[in-house]
Amino acid sequence: MGDKDGKSSPSKKNKKGKDMDELKKEVPITEHKMSIEECCRKFNTDIVQGLTNAKAAEFLIRDGPNCLTPPPTTPEWIKFCRQLFGGFSILLWTGAILCFLAYAIQAATEDEPAGDNLYLGIVLSVVVVVTGCFSYFQEAKSSKIMESFKNMVPQQALVIREGEKMTINAEEVVAGDLVEVKGGDRIPADLRVVSAHGCKVDNSSLTGESEPQSRSPDCTHDNPLETRNVAFFSTNCVEGTARGIVVCTGDRTVMGRIATLTSGLESGKTPIAKEIEHFIHLITGVAVFLGITFFILAVCLGYTWLEAVIFLIGIIVANVPEGLLATVTVCLTLTAKRMAKKNCLVKNLEAVETLGSTSTICSDKTGTLTQNRMTVAHMWFDNQIHEADTTEDQSGASFDKTSASWAALARVAALCNRAVFKAGQDQLPILKRDTAGDASESALLKCIELSCGSVKQIREKNKKVAEIPFNSTNKYQLSVHETEDPNDNRYLLVMKGAPERILDRCTTIIIQGKEQPMDEEMKESFQNAYMELGGLGERVLGFCHLLMPEDQYPKGFAFDCDDVNFTTESLCFVGLMSMIDPPRAAVPDAVGKCRSAGIKVIMVTGDHPITAKAIAKGVGIISEGNETVEDIASRLNIPVSQVNPRDAKACVIHGTDLKELSQDQMDDILRNHTEIVFARTSPQQKLIIVEGCQRLGAIVAVTGDGVNDSPALKKADIGVAMGISGSDVSKQAADMILLDDNFASIVTGVEEGRLIFDNLKKSIAYTLTSNIPEITPFLLFIIVNIPLPLGTITILCIDLGTDMVPAISLAYEAAESDIMKRQPRNPTRDKLVNERLISIAYGQIGMIQALGGFFSYFVILAENGFLPSILVGIRLNWDDRACNDLEDSYGQQWTYEQRKIVEFTCHTAFFVSIVVVQWADVIVCKTRRNSVFQQGMKNKILIFGLFEETALAAFLSYTPGMDVALRMFPLKPSWWFCAVPYSVLIFVYDEIRKLLIRRNPGGKWLSLSLCITFRPESCHEICICNFTHKSLIDTKTRKLSNASLFSSPTLSSYRLGGKGDILLSDGYRLYSYPYIFHLFLPPFIPSLARHVFRCPTP
Amino acid sequence: MSTKEETPVADGDKPQTSSWKDSIYNPRTGEFIGRTAKSWALILLFYLVFYGFLAGMFTLTMWVMLQTLDDNIPTYRDRVASPGLVIRPRSLDIVFNRTDTKQYGQYVQHLENFLQQYNDTVQERNELCMVGEYYEQDDQEEKKVCQFKRSLLRQCSGLSDTTFGYTEGKPCVLVKMNRIIGLKPRGDPYINCTAKRESPLQMQYFPSEGRFDKMYFPYYGKNLHSTYVQPLVAVKLLLTKEDYNNELTVECKIEGSDLRNSDDRDKFLGRVTFRVKVVE
Repeated sequence: MGDKDGKSSPSKKNKKGKDMDELKKEVPITEHKMSIEECCRKFNTDIVQGLTNAKAAEFLIRDGPNCLTPPPTTPEWIKFCRQLFGGFSILLWTGAILCFLAYAIQAATEDEPAGDNLYLGIVLSVVVVVTGCFSYFQEAKSSKIMESFKNMVPQQALVIREGEKMTINAEEVVAGDLVEVKGGDRIPADLRVVSAHGCKVDNSSLTGESEPQSRSPDCTHDNPLETRNVAFFSTNCVEGTARGIVVCTGDRTVMGRIATLTSGLESGKTPIAKEIEHFIHLITGVAVFLGITFFILAVCLGYTWLEAVIFLIGIIVANVPEGLLATVTVCLTLTAKRMAKKNCLVKNLEAVETLGSTSTICSDKTGTLTQNRMTVAHMWFDNQIHEADTTEDQSGASFDKTSASWAALARVAALCNRAVFKAGQDQLPILKRDTAGDASESALLKCIELSCGSVKQIREKNKKVAEIPFNSTNKYQLSVHETEDPNDNRYLLVMKGAPERILDRCTTIIIQGKEQPMDEEMKESFQNAYMELGGLGERVLGFCHLLMPEDQYPKGFAFDCDDVNFTTESLCFVGLMSMIDPPRAAVPDAVGKCRSAGIKVIMVTGDHPITAKAIAKGVGIISEGNETVEDIASRLNIPVSQVNPRDAKACVIHGTDLKELSQDQMDDILRNHTEIVFARTSPQQKLIIVEGCQRLGAIVAVTGDGVNDSPALKKADIGVAMGISGSDVSKQAADMILLDDNFASIVTGVEEGRLIFDNLKKSIAYTLTSNIPEITPFLLFIIVNIPLPLGTITILCIDLGTDMVPAISLAYEAAESDIMKRQPRNPTRDKLVNERLISIAYGQIGMIQALGGFFSYFVILAENGFLPSILVGIRLNWDDRACNDLEDSYGQQWTYEQRKIVEFTCHTAFFVSIVVVQWADVIVCKTRRNSVFQQGMKNKILIFGLFEETALAAFLSYTPGMDVALRMFPLKPSWWFCAVPYSVLIFVYDEIRKLLIRRNPGGKWLSLSLCITFRPESCHEICICNFTHKSLIDTKTRKLSNASLFSSPTLSSYRLGGKGDILLSDGYRLYSYPYIFHLFLPPFIPSLARHVFRCPTP
Repeated sequence: MSTKEETPVADGDKPQTSSWKDSIYNPRTGEFIGRTAKSWALILLFYLVFYGFLAGMFTLTMWVMLQTLDDNIPTYRDRVASPGLVIRPRSLDIVFNRTDTKQYGQYVQHLENFLQQYNDTVQERNELCMVGEYYEQDDQEEKKVCQFKRSLLRQCSGLSDTTFGYTEGKPCVLVKMNRIIGLKPRGDPYINCTAKRESPLQMQYFPSEGRFDKMYFPYYGKNLHSTYVQPLVAVKLLLTKEDYNNELTVECKIEGSDLRNSDDRDKFLGRVTFRVKVVE
């Protein structure tokens, strides 16, 4: 802005923070209020000659090229390092460093240091680097797809310099340049329009308005975004021509400011990153606690300080789940792939889960919820409103086309219309064809083409004789045509325009094909229809015609359009047609699903409140029966100020009102209204709305396609851009891209996100469990001086070998209950890994596993001659290389090497035992509440995982050469069965635990405040109605309150409708549904229902 | 668990009064690290019962396993198929000054202690067995032991020379073979020692030729064969003046039988290597 307005100069000093605040404010363009001469003076330009070449070159050097500075791209190596040192990796790196440290201590103090710590350190480093590379490439791959989206077509601009028109590269345009644009061009910079001829621009990428706006040299509004005489950089000129002075270029343009604001915003950590951080804290806590405890114990037991330090490090490292990082990465990648198949492209792996945690979706209207094309929605003729089919695939209902009035209306709409189909699209369906012309005219064209056949033929039959194009003073458009009937020499005058203007010119009206005089009654019903259609947020056009009397206008009459020499009064009114950008077909269903998943859907649009509200009602963002404050006021016929805002669940907030709201008021609105529509919002306000939601603790998803959405996309926890219609800036800012632009795909994303969160929990529980059997051997080795039961190599074989596939297979696990019917998780309460999970994994299942391992250890030693009784304290001699005649319980004497083989056989057996107990663990981890018998073993990958880990264990044990390579020895077949009883115990124990959980969810039974009426007349329908706090707790109602009943597949098809609050319990939480549920039950349920559900008399 | 309506209220009054101290002990709710005393007690009780049960289960499985074991013979003996060799004194680096009693005293003491069980008075209680034949007594209830008198070791018996040749700079080293139940070496096992240097070192073996007689095999285990003594071979290293102050590596191997003596990994399987350095 520099010299243009002094306001911004102080902000330069105050660095970035101030800059961001500055950017969040509204656009500072003032040129639209200046006269053209002032403008010219300001930029040293001339209204006819344009800039001189010298000046242009000077300005180009001063301001730089006219292009958006791409967001600072992070160098590849930094991205790589971020993968290498972020989140989970830190834990492993710390482990690796500790290992090297321990090895260094050992190397410095011992002659022959054991290589274990060194190997472990190396393996840990390799694991981090490999998984780091993996996620890096995963991300690089998706950003490559990003690159393919970029359409890098160089843009040209027509400028006038030194009086000559010249086509130059748009990047060379400078402030002060005189630029000419015509229909189809992209505006090369922010322009102050100096002259225009029927110019219309499409500002949808900037403001979200789907209708093109006309441009003229007059200032019509103080707000530069609303005024007519400014055209914005990178918007499109749809038709007409205009000439303007460039006022801003590059990053200083409105578009550029938004882009800069976007790239300057910091997006916070993803919820899963926070969860992993929390998890690391927990694990580190446990590790350090154990480490310190045993350090003290070791010192007390008489170990040297150095030994104790090595033990301390060893214990801390043993707590690091080596394979978990890889497991989590693979699980997220698998989900990302699955989502990509369903048209959700995830740019950042961690964002996979974010949608699942989402509690609020702020959706843009145009293009996301709507089809982004004007379509005829309603017609009024024969004193009746007819509904047109607005669906994308023409599957909707049609209206009665037999009326003669309709034929007349269609003829007027076809003739008084300048839009045409572009050539060469005959094979395309009509709705998909491109048209040249105004959006509403195109809508009419398509509508007529669909219902009456070729418009071209109609036009050919009725040759146009004269035409007056639309202008803003007349507010109508008319044309005069010859009639179809060659014998009829009369001319047909057709006119369309603003309905009230058209009505003023009419004296008659066509009803059922007959002309009738326009009486007061008719006028009133016209008014009602007009109001009704207008209230639907639709743009209404009136149509009228007149067959001109032959005596006054004989054949060959010279119609003069500039100096009108024919009548434009006493016409015959034909009808109204109204147009809207209709919602996409799948959206209402998707919004309903979001609602039942506890996700609040907020519409944020740049469009008009009435239109926004109509669409919101159409897609269910404002649900049937819910009213805004204004609705209540008009229903009760009282002023708006007297309505208690709490009574209104829905609200529509205008951008200008939003400006005046304080933060508290904003919070109040977001908290107290469940159904919110923000209309006429600027990009900056979208950002404020997102921040408001986040302040209330919501995890916010933002969908949008325009540049105007991008700051909000970036700020959101997950920004969702549109793949087809989305602008590059929005795709850059987003974390996820909907390849099919369909809001419904978000629902898929939410479902996948929730599933992966559940499954990651299972995966982590599974992986963590084996930590206990891995660490207890070392602890006992220290405390009671037994030969080491499980070595480092075997631990790595478990963590990075046998545990991997089963852990990953849990990512394929199907959901236990309908995850789309529960509330989004509460990020402060529902943690990925919590104390309870640790307690079960470590304290219970892990302990059983450890016992299983120790049992096989004792079996092997005992069967080889070392009975448990002599093991305690044997370690000193056992690990003494010089002692080669260690006596066992039977009097035999063992050399060091001989007993080490037995020890390594024990390691192998312990390892195999862990595999055996992990069989049970993976089956146990499959479900969190349901029994395996309910859930079934349908997860094929999991079954494969079971076989794979067993095969791998056998391979490691029996392959010749493993004794040298990994120091693993073949086991006798009977040793495989040592841990089986423990495996069975795990299974039985956990089934009992889950049974208790199912019987006793959440510790207490929650009151179920609903009543259910059973309708005998339609015995498949049960209606649950509003009834507050009547508890229905008895053994039978428990069945009802169990979520599995509600979410069982047969019950999933419920319909929402009507009002009332229902609180359903799934055992953990009460869900509030503001609906009556009509549950369509299969025939067997009513018999059950008779017992279970009683209808209380109110 | 509370209903949805209640939670915001509960959350609402918390931030004003709670602090980090509350996370350890909250005096209003009596919560210690997020739980009340009762809750902690219940958890403790649960784990007590749970671990008690696990301990019981473990004991049971261990007991069952121990029932399957034989008292006299370990279930598997394949990991000790061949015996290891060890030497006495229990050191692989025998370094001493032959004039300094204190330095070699420990070796002498060690050998003396070790040979106590071979004292003639003790051994005379044992059987005199047939030379060159296995003393098999699989059928007998009570396994008898063949006598190995200390005096068989002659100069190295410590009877005539109580310092086992350490004063004269010609130290005795006892080589013994590890006990293994049921081991019956085929052939005629004897100990052969070599010094790792160009010129061979003179050595004396006791009993003659360093033989292990077959009558000491097989061994029936600690339980049945409690007074069993292993046969020994004493090697007297006849060091000369030139050998003093030089470190000498000596390798003893069991030869003349099927016993393994050249395993790559196990340097003590049928062989033993030790170093001797006599300082003058």
